[in-house]
Amino acid sequence: MILRPFEYVECRTVGDAVAALERGGGDARIIAGGTALVPLMKHQVLRPSLLVSIANVPGLADIDAAGEGGVRVGSVATHWAVSHSALVREQSPLLARACQRVASPAVRSMGTLGGNLCYGESASDPSPALLALRATLRLHGPAGERTVPITEFFTGFYETALAEAEILTAVDVPATPAGAHWRYLKWTPRAQEDKALVGLAAMLVLDGRRCRLARLGLGGVAASPSVLARAEQALEGRELDDATIARAADVAAAEVEPIEDLQGSAEYRRDMLRVWVRRVVSGLAAEGSR
Amino acid sequence: MPIVELTVNERPVRVEVPVHWTLIQLLHDGLGLLGTKEGCGEGSCGACTVLVDGRLARSCLALAVRADGTRVLTIEGLAAGDTLDPIQDAFVRHGAIQCGFCTPGMVITTKALLAEHPRPTDHEIREFLSGNFCRCAGYSLILNAVRDAAGLQGTQPR
Repeated sequence: MILRPFEYVECRTVGDAVAALERGGGDARIIAGGTALVPLMKHQVLRPSLLVSIANVPGLADIDAAGEGGVRVGSVATHWAVSHSALVREQSPLLARACQRVASPAVRSMGTLGGNLCYGESASDPSPALLALRATLRLHGPAGERTVPITEFFTGFYETALAEAEILTAVDVPATPAGAHWRYLKWTPRAQEDKALVGLAAMLVLDGRRCRLARLGLGGVAASPSVLARAEQALEGRELDDATIARAADVAAAEVEPIEDLQGSAEYRRDMLRVWVRRVVSGLAAEGSR
Repeated sequence: MPIVELTVNERPVRVEVPVHWTLIQLLHDGLGLLGTKEGCGEGSCGACTVLVDGRLARSCLALAVRADGTRVLTIEGLAAGDTLDPIQDAFVRHGAIQCGFCTPGMVITTKALLAEHPRPTDHEIREFLSGNFCRCAGYSLILNAVRDAAGLQGTQPR
C-alpha cells in the first residue's frame, strides 16, 4: 500500500508547528510516530495535504519529575520510552504498565503517547490509566497554552477537545497515592496484540478492607475512554466485601453506553465490563488486606 | 525532492526520496534491498520490521524522510559474508521457515529481543514476537529457534 502525495514540514518549535497548522487550514495534520495516521492515510480515511512533524521538536519527548511525586511526559515520548522510564515505573507504574500493553513492541517504539491520546480511540491503553490517575493535558494553540483535565478531553467517538491548530505538548501525571494498589487489565478476545475489548485501569487506596479512594478508567467499551464515576462512588468509603464489589460492578455496567463492532456486541461488552470490574477490584481488595 | 542521508547495514547512503515514500519504499525502490517484506502495509503483521537506531520500526509506516541521519539495520545486514548471524543459523537449523515471508521480520525482531533480554523467558519471547504473524503458523519451530539462538538449554533441533 502506498501513500498519496502530500507536503511535509519538519518543525523545530511548537510555535512553528501551530503556525504551519494554521496555514494548512483544516487540511493539515500533526504527525509524530505515524502509527495511527499513516494507516488512515493509506486507506484514504484521511487525505491531508500537509503533514506537520513535531517528532523532532527539542524537549518534546522529555520525561521529567514534576512536583511532589508527579511526572510530566512530553507528548512525543514513545510508548516504549514511557514504559521503560525508571521515573515513570517508580512514580506512575500504572501508566508504565498500560503503555507496555499497547499493540506490539515495534508499534510501541514508534507510536507516541500524545498521538495515542489525540487519536481519541476508545480502545487506547494509556487513556484509561491516565483517566484513573486524573492527568492533565497541556495544549498549545494560536491563542497560547491551556490545560485540560483528561476527564474532559475525550468528547466522543474519535473526538477530542483539541481545537483548530492546537497541539498536545505534555501530559502531567499527578503523584500516585502512597500505598495505592493498581492494575491495568486488558481483555482481548483473541490475541495479545488485539485492541482492548475492555481496558480497565483501577487504582484503590485501602485501609484494611475499607476503600478510602477508588479510581477506575475505562477504554474499549464505550465510544470514548471514560471514568467509571458511579462505580468509584459505589466503592469509596465502603468495606469491600463481595456484595459491595458485585454491586459496584453492576453500577459500572449500568453507567456505560457500550458500542458494537466486529470485536463484540454491546451486550457482550457490558457483560465483560461487569466481570472484569468485579475480578479486578476483588483482586486489589484481597491484595490490600493481606 | 528531499535527499536523505542515512546508514543502511553499516553502509552510508544518500538517496533522493519523494516526501510521501515510506521507509520500505526507500529500501526497495531507492536502494534495491528487497529482503524486507511488506505484508499488511498498515503496521499489524510485522513482516516489514527493521531496526532504526537500534529500535524496532515498521518500515511500512515510517516516512522515508524521517530516516535522515538514522542507522537502519535490515535482514541483509545480519550475515557477515557467508557466515550467518546466530539467529539466522538457528532459524535454518530448526526449519523455522515455511514460506519464508515473515522470516526477515521475525529474525530482526528476535535481534531486538535478545538485545533487551539476552536470556528471555518463553513469555518474553511470545510477547516480543506478538506483532509478527506467521500465516503458515510455524510458531512452535520459531519459538524453538529463538530459544536456541538465545543459548537456552534443551533446544537443539531433533
